[in-house]
Amino acid sequence: MIFALWKKEVDSYFSSPLAYVLIGLFSLITGIMFFNLLVTYSDGIQAIPQNMTQDISFVEEVVVRLFANINFLFLFFIPLITMRLFSEEKRLETLDLYWLAPVKDWQLVLAKGLAAATLIISLLLMTLVYPLIIWGVGVQDFTLLGTAYASLFLNACAYIALGLFCSSISGNQIIAALLSILGIMFLWMITWGGHLNSNYILSEIFTYIGITSHFEKILRGLVGTQDLIYYVTFIFMFGFLTVKSLGRRNW
Amino acid sequence: MDKILIVDNVCKEYPGRSAVSNISFEVKKGSIHGFLGPNGAGKSTTMKMISGLMPVTSGEITLFGEKISYTNILLKNKLGLLPENPPLYMDMTVESYLRFVARLHQVKNISQQVDQVIDQLSLGAVKKRLIGNLSKGFKQRVGLAQAIVYDAPFLMLDEPTNGLDPQSVVELRDVIKKLSAHKTILFSSHILSEVEQLCDHITIIHQGRIKASGDIAQIHHKFRKGLVLKIGIGKGEKLPELDQFGKHEIAEFHSLAQEEQFRIVFEAEKDCRAEIGKFLIEQGSRLMTLQVESPELEDIFLHMTENK
Repeated sequence: MIFALWKKEVDSYFSSPLAYVLIGLFSLITGIMFFNLLVTYSDGIQAIPQNMTQDISFVEEVVVRLFANINFLFLFFIPLITMRLFSEEKRLETLDLYWLAPVKDWQLVLAKGLAAATLIISLLLMTLVYPLIIWGVGVQDFTLLGTAYASLFLNACAYIALGLFCSSISGNQIIAALLSILGIMFLWMITWGGHLNSNYILSEIFTYIGITSHFEKILRGLVGTQDLIYYVTFIFMFGFLTVKSLGRRNW
Repeated sequence: MDKILIVDNVCKEYPGRSAVSNISFEVKKGSIHGFLGPNGAGKSTTMKMISGLMPVTSGEITLFGEKISYTNILLKNKLGLLPENPPLYMDMTVESYLRFVARLHQVKNISQQVDQVIDQLSLGAVKKRLIGNLSKGFKQRVGLAQAIVYDAPFLMLDEPTNGLDPQSVVELRDVIKKLSAHKTILFSSHILSEVEQLCDHITIIHQGRIKASGDIAQIHHKFRKGLVLKIGIGKGEKLPELDQFGKHEIAEFHSLAQEEQFRIVFEAEKDCRAEIGKFLIEQGSRLMTLQVESPELEDIFLHMTENK
């Protein structure tokens, strides 16, 4: 059942121009970013004495920055991907098709989430050319690349869960997208709140609730259990809220 | 099981207004049951409640002996619904859409079932086309196809011919008539002639209340005031004064569009054709027609739905 629902959603993405426009735009923007970071890095290397070059970390200057920038792009790309998932179905009254079939709400939510994640994987696949270039430059640390991709993917899944929820509470795609963008920005701002707060406990709580600290840790290869628990909890919580939001539509 | 659907004292209330109030009716197995009412009478709301898409405020709906609820999975393959706005995906082809719906309902032999429905609804010519590019008539047929592709024994069609051209209306009615051979159908409409052509049982709803429900003939009988006779006399003749025909009280008398034709409504139901025929001939009229008229469903409907 989940496979049938997932396949329908993926077919729907790739039968509309939206997926291709997003993939094209994403590749273009990340390509420009990567080029700029490489140029900045090589300019920096040339500007300092030879014996100090190892102080400028390629991973820190290029890889981490590139993936952090891609994370910023997700602020706009993921709401665009998730906005239509439920709100369009609500507007067209096509959800009735599922309510009249032996489909459970969680199956529908999971399938739509997986379909959005599939599109994100397609976007990320486009960026695989950069590791090849990085490998050509001489960076051999593919463990770091693995965790960098994992951090991006986990962040994307969290944003998708949030986006799905926003889509399930509004019959208007634009409102769903705006809510998702605000939600993601809020998640970032909580972390800033953590940095700015002088109270240690509050600061720690804010830092844990915000997504950025977890993302940055995994991005740098510091995969901790609490970070994984954070993502799993976050995704389950918004998945659960989406299921509840669908369940209470009329009852 | 004689009664497939039992709607028992059902109410649906929204804050500040009531959509349907204490409605009760039954649908018998194997019948085409017309659900008749003007726009906004509560037909779609009732159908949504029957299909479990909307909760009832009070009362109970029983389908195939099971109480309706949103979570009642047991009923989900037994009920096919064509809502007023069919749930269609415009970016899917007809065939892939029907296969998807069949898969949702866990149909075992999907290809065979989909092919059969495509044949049944004459969708073969458009099966590879995107639903979004089809005419309204074909979209409505695809909507009907999704309701029958999993072979549900009970079908609910919410104003299926609404907005279609006359040719599509006739074709869709034929399809519904054929489907009724092995399915029970609840069919909502505000077009009286359509209901008369298709249905053997009706329920009339107005302003959220049931005005009549049952066999069409019985409803006709119930709402007949007395015997209605249509009389035609020879061209150019005048109808004799009926005051002298004192055996039966006359309730109403109407001259019809054709000058020599009249409609007489008697107080009593007793057949007095022989007496009035004899009377008219004795008065020197050439009696051309003398027939009993059944009241039109339209008359009954208008009588019931007029705002009092």
